[in-house]
Amino acid sequence: MFTKSFSATWKPRGPNRGSNVRLMRRIIAEDAEWSLAIVPLLTDLCIRHIVKNFRNNPILTQLLPEHQQKVLRQLPPDLPLAVTANLIDDENYWHRCCEQRWPVCHLDCHGGSWKRLFFERHLENLIKHFIPGSTDPAVILDLLPLCRNYVRRIRVDQFLPPVQLRPPPHNGDQSDSGSEGETEEPSMDHYQLGELVAGLSQLEELDLVYGIKDCGMNFEWNLFLFTYRDCQSLAATIKACHTLKVFRLTRSKVDDNKARILIRSLLDHPALEKLDLSHNCIGDRGARAAAKLLSHSRLRVLNLANNQVRAPGAQSLAHALAHNTNLLSLNLRLNCIEDEGGQALAHALQTNKCLTTLHLGGNELSEPTATLLSQVLSVNTTLTKINLSCNHIGPDGGKQLLEGMSDNKTLLEFDLRLSDVAQESEYLIGQALCANREEARQRALNPSHFSAPLTAKGPENPVG
Amino acid sequence: MNPPVPLGILEDKEEEHLATQVLGPSINSDNPQERIQARRLRIAARLEARRREALGEYLDGKKESEEDQSKSYKQKEESRLKLAKLLLYGTELVTNIQVATDIREIHRRVEEEELKRQRLEKLENEVKTSQDKFDDITAKWEEGIHKKIPQELWELLNSQQVHCAGLIEDKNKLISELQQARGPGHSVPARWGRLGAYNWELKIKDDQYVKDLKKQSEDICVLLERMEEQVKTVMRTFRQELNHIEKAFEVERQELLSSNKKKWERALQAHNAKELEYLMNRLKKVEDYEKQLSKQRIWDFEEYNMIKIKLEQDVQILEQQLQQMKATYQLNQEKLEYNFQVLKKRDEESTMIKSQQKRKMNRLHDVLNNMRSKYAKQIKQFQEENQSLTSDYKRLVIQFKELQKAMRHFVLIDEEKFRDFWVMNEEEAKGLISRAFDVDRIIHTQHLGLPWTAPDFWFLKNVGPLFQQQQKSATQILEEVLMQTEEEGSEADQELESYLDLPKQVSASTTRKILMLLCDESGFLIESKLLSLLQPLEKSECYLLRLDAIFSALGVESEDDLYKLVNFFLKYRAQHLSSQEGEMMPALEPVPKGEEEEEKKEKEEEEEEEDGESLEEEEAESLVEEEEASTSPRLIHPNDVLKILEAFVKGLKKPRDARAPVKLQKAARDNSKDSDYWKALATVIPRSRQNLWDGLYAALEKYHLVLMRRAELLLECNTLEQQNTELQQLLQKYLGSKINSELQVPPTQVLPISTKSN
Repeated sequence: MFTKSFSATWKPRGPNRGSNVRLMRRIIAEDAEWSLAIVPLLTDLCIRHIVKNFRNNPILTQLLPEHQQKVLRQLPPDLPLAVTANLIDDENYWHRCCEQRWPVCHLDCHGGSWKRLFFERHLENLIKHFIPGSTDPAVILDLLPLCRNYVRRIRVDQFLPPVQLRPPPHNGDQSDSGSEGETEEPSMDHYQLGELVAGLSQLEELDLVYGIKDCGMNFEWNLFLFTYRDCQSLAATIKACHTLKVFRLTRSKVDDNKARILIRSLLDHPALEKLDLSHNCIGDRGARAAAKLLSHSRLRVLNLANNQVRAPGAQSLAHALAHNTNLLSLNLRLNCIEDEGGQALAHALQTNKCLTTLHLGGNELSEPTATLLSQVLSVNTTLTKINLSCNHIGPDGGKQLLEGMSDNKTLLEFDLRLSDVAQESEYLIGQALCANREEARQRALNPSHFSAPLTAKGPENPVG
Repeated sequence: MNPPVPLGILEDKEEEHLATQVLGPSINSDNPQERIQARRLRIAARLEARRREALGEYLDGKKESEEDQSKSYKQKEESRLKLAKLLLYGTELVTNIQVATDIREIHRRVEEEELKRQRLEKLENEVKTSQDKFDDITAKWEEGIHKKIPQELWELLNSQQVHCAGLIEDKNKLISELQQARGPGHSVPARWGRLGAYNWELKIKDDQYVKDLKKQSEDICVLLERMEEQVKTVMRTFRQELNHIEKAFEVERQELLSSNKKKWERALQAHNAKELEYLMNRLKKVEDYEKQLSKQRIWDFEEYNMIKIKLEQDVQILEQQLQQMKATYQLNQEKLEYNFQVLKKRDEESTMIKSQQKRKMNRLHDVLNNMRSKYAKQIKQFQEENQSLTSDYKRLVIQFKELQKAMRHFVLIDEEKFRDFWVMNEEEAKGLISRAFDVDRIIHTQHLGLPWTAPDFWFLKNVGPLFQQQQKSATQILEEVLMQTEEEGSEADQELESYLDLPKQVSASTTRKILMLLCDESGFLIESKLLSLLQPLEKSECYLLRLDAIFSALGVESEDDLYKLVNFFLKYRAQHLSSQEGEMMPALEPVPKGEEEEEKKEKEEEEEEEDGESLEEEEAESLVEEEEASTSPRLIHPNDVLKILEAFVKGLKKPRDARAPVKLQKAARDNSKDSDYWKALATVIPRSRQNLWDGLYAALEKYHLVLMRRAELLLECNTLEQQNTELQQLLQKYLGSKINSELQVPPTQVLPISTKSN
């Protein structure tokens, strides 16, 4: 191309100015397609070099901001974390890293920070695939100095048990849950979080499920074991973690004793606000321990859904609730507190001035509880959401609740589905709620509370 | 168990309704579905009602302007409500599945519980019966121990065996029963045996579990479907509502645009019309101006011609004048040249004079400098002199003051001496007079036998020197008061009090304080010139002069006036203080002026002598009072002074003229009456009486002579008697002597008589 153009420009003038080098050069310069831009800038070259050798010689902070941007834009996302973790804060880089590793990323669940998302998911991944005994614990602990400042939440929904010999599960096929509990416990312990959590200075949320996903036909009961040692080490871990705000331990077969161990370690915890022990097998003793926790902590949300809490447990919870000033939300869905427990809770609500959300769905409640609740409705001014679905409240109870609703101006949601309430009263209660909601909207001049129910119910939907 | 429920979209709820109806009853629970349907219908009804309401409201249209404004707002509100409903009921729809699952779970749990309970009951019953049987068997073992006969023992053992077999049979029966109860109609595979029975039950459970799993996966599918549907519908409706809102806004905007456009066009038209008008006006004006211009041009041309002719004429005249001027100029030049010569000469002369003058000036300057230095020297000298003189003056003043003090002292002493002398002489005179009177009285009563009356004269009662009570002027008092303040430290108060006769109730220090206060507060009464003059003076003098000026302004001249003023102040204070102090202050009596004053003076003169004695007692009283009243001036607030003064000036209405000439010179004692007094004392016995006394004297002289002779005779007689007695004694002696006895004839017998007489 160059030669062509050169000859094209050169030939017509050729005879006149033959062998002059300077002229030749001038002619080259006059080439229409040549421009100075073809020559890369030295800075560009340097940046390219830096990017190329970033793995061995990371130079970033010394550069000018604009050059930093360029370098970051060109860095490959597969650099070792040891190099990048504490050096790069640029969100775009971590965005690329995340997108490369995971097709779907929920940035909102990680505080809107790509870096945090990356490290949290990376760590969760490592924990998920950690096999005690065979995996080197250093794999996780090495990451600790890199991610300690960024990880605020650990959400692990699977803990792999240690590898077992093949024969025993085949032999013990018929002898199910009874045999596996005691004999194989020492070898069934899962990864101990203690060291990791102690190293994470920013940890606020711990969401654990002691179980296995996608086991398919390899199912064994002992894969889903939350052993005593696990429990004790977890208790020690959460006790030591003073920054913890949210603790979730769901679907892990936590029974009364384990719940008591855990809750004892949480007594007087400085930061804990949210405790979720749903989908376990906690009975009345565990509920009593939770009640004690209510009066010895600043807990704001307590979730004991789908457990085995019965009337005594509910009564002790109610006793703690009567004078509590912290708890905002109490969830006792799918328990069996029955009327006795329901009445106790209703009594407690007459004095409580703090609770806003109460979920008593599927608790075998019936008319007497409804009677008491209707009295509560006319007195209490803090409750905004009550869920009484899947109970046997009956038409009379519905009427009484309707009466109670007529005096209430604060309740925004009242779920009475599948609770044998007459349609008419349910409709009227719905209208009262509508009026309340409109009033609340007028009061706040902020229609956002219409979306609030969605978010409130959001976490429960996938569980059901 | 969960039917494929048509997912709720609010827009096509009727279809949905139909669909649910067509699909009919659900497998598991009719109730919730019906509920859902009912709820949906309700939603539709409510929505429709709301829409109607909104429409009605819209049709009502309160005010046009408001309607215009609220079109978009209404649309927004409508959309908001609609979307809120959609969200709420969509959520409800989605959560319905969860609720349905929950209730299924509850049902399952309840069933499970029931079955468990039944099983437990059965097992317990069985345990009881088998325990009974077992007890029987064990009891029989007891019997067997006592049996010794082998046949019996064998029978017993057989029966025991039968019993045990029965027990085991019962147990097996129960197991099979349990199996039957679990799965009636299902045959248990024989080879599984007892454990197999449980496994079989487990298998049923497994089946159920698988079913449940399937149901739940279906549920989740439905849930997902619904969620997706919900999301879609929400998005769609949101979009629709957004469109509606946008349309509403667009319409509003269009309307606004069109109205604005109309307005704009109207304005533009108006503007055009105006522009046209302006143009026409301008054209007219241009024409007018052109006409005016042409006129002006013609007129100007004519004028120009006229001026030209005139100017030419002027030029001619001026040329003539120029010629004349040139001639005069020539002449003037010559004159000036001559003058110049003269002036030159004069200049020379003047330079000469100037140099002379300069020399003279230098000399005079020297003289002036000398004079100046001399003058300065003199000034210095005079200043020194002045200083020495002022110091002298001050010394002299001090001396003079001391002298005055001494003089006052001496005056006092002199007065006292004078008084003593007077009194002494008077006493002497009075003694003489009393003697004379006694004599006169004796003469009258004893010698003349006439009644005697004591003569009554005024001077007889007089004791001490005659005094003319003098009215001191206010300034004198002031001076004294102020002097007193100066001397207060050094001299005793009593001495001062003695020549400063203040009224009883007012002490000197109180007065002084009041006067100081007055002086400080009423500076406006003093003329500014005087103030400037007062600057260099001493403090006391300054006060004195100031007070003098103030009093002259106020009309206070005499001592009485001054005391009145002071009393006025005190009274004012008393009024302001509590009543307890009011007793101390006697009410100020309005003293009548003029004639009464004169009489009073005389009375005072008469009473002066008596007062003098009681003066010291009063002084003591006043001292006590002074202590009590010493706080008084402080209690008079400086601000009140002017009020008091005003009141005082109003109260002091007296004839000025009467007082004017009564200015007396100080300390000139009137001794004109003294000689009269003494003369009167001398002539207390009148001349006629003296003549009487003379006559009487002569007669008495004679009487005296007679008496004298008689006295001599009496004396002679006495001596003769004495001689006689002596002779008698001698005779007696002679008679009594021893010679007689010796004698023959004693003389005694011769002279009997004489003895008898002894």
